[in-house]
Amino acid sequence: MTDPADLPLDQQDLAILDRLAAIHTMLDPPPADLDERVTFAIALDDLDAEVARLREQQTVGTGARGAERTRTITFDGESRTVMITIVDRQDGMVRIDGWLAPSAPLRVDLRLPEPEPHRTVTADAAGRFAFDRVPHGIVQFLVQPPEGSAMPRLVTPAFTL
Amino acid sequence: MAVVTLGSGGAGTSQAGPDRAARPGECLERARNGELGALSDVVRELNPLLWHVARAEGLTSEESADVVQTTWLELLRRLHEIQSPRALTAWLVTATRRGAWRTRELSRRQAPDGAERLERAPDPGPGPGEELLSEERDRALWRHFHRLPERCRALLRIVAQADRPDYSVVAEALGMPIGSIGPTRGRCLAKLRAMLLDDPGWSTP
Repeated sequence: MTDPADLPLDQQDLAILDRLAAIHTMLDPPPADLDERVTFAIALDDLDAEVARLREQQTVGTGARGAERTRTITFDGESRTVMITIVDRQDGMVRIDGWLAPSAPLRVDLRLPEPEPHRTVTADAAGRFAFDRVPHGIVQFLVQPPEGSAMPRLVTPAFTL
Repeated sequence: MAVVTLGSGGAGTSQAGPDRAARPGECLERARNGELGALSDVVRELNPLLWHVARAEGLTSEESADVVQTTWLELLRRLHEIQSPRALTAWLVTATRRGAWRTRELSRRQAPDGAERLERAPDPGPGPGEELLSEERDRALWRHFHRLPERCRALLRIVAQADRPDYSVVAEALGMPIGSIGPTRGRCLAKLRAMLLDDPGWSTP
């Protein structure tokens, strides 16, 4: 007798798989903004990029009753680490302080959803950079390679401020 | 009982017809030519599958979302190497799984003991949530599904999210090839199916 495991899928199998998918989608759905985050992150004008992975994320303070809320995120690329600190401002915007390691005076772009233009700053010799009065929402960092370098730029995943 | 054969391997031979095979193929081609917006349909189609791949490896919801996003970003550099939609699915599933392992290792090192480990107990799935299911059929399915070994639950949870023609591609990328000619049921689904057919809660319409 043939082992049932070796038989091709029939309608009963498909019905089981369909219901399993439906139940998982209902009880454990992906974050609602996953498609938006991915679509935003990959809408780049150049395919060649080194991807910095999210290593760590920490939030300190609640932001309630004037208490400052600070979020620290670290992204690791092969060539460089990008560390940023996000602080809520009184006016509903945020300030981002960043640090590149190893340090280098590189151009850093902050991508915001259209129609907001990209913002660009250059890190100082110690690798520090800052963006102030940034609106809440989805963003992504691009770090340009040193001038004359054959290395690709570094991109972080998109994340929500 | 009608037997449904799924794609028998090789692009263009799938039973789903040329439409489904051609559309992602065309999107891939446009993306390779620099039109990355063309990928957004493919992103929407494959994101649930990839997210469940990461979840089944024991990551939290947010960690899974990060791994999925990073995988897509890494795909950009490799786009020119990927020739067919089936190869794309296989590449993405494999890369997501590796990304999930890396993230899991990292969190394990950062939180060597205690609560974190409990939270990451095997099968991060929704767990018995039977009372949330209104159909008796679904409740029966969910009950029997949780009687399967963890490895089977992870596999079935993922392949259930795959588009049917991708069933075998996904299973293979997960290291559990099912059938060399056409996709076969495989041991996990055969087991679940046998339990369900014995349960009147499933078989009685």
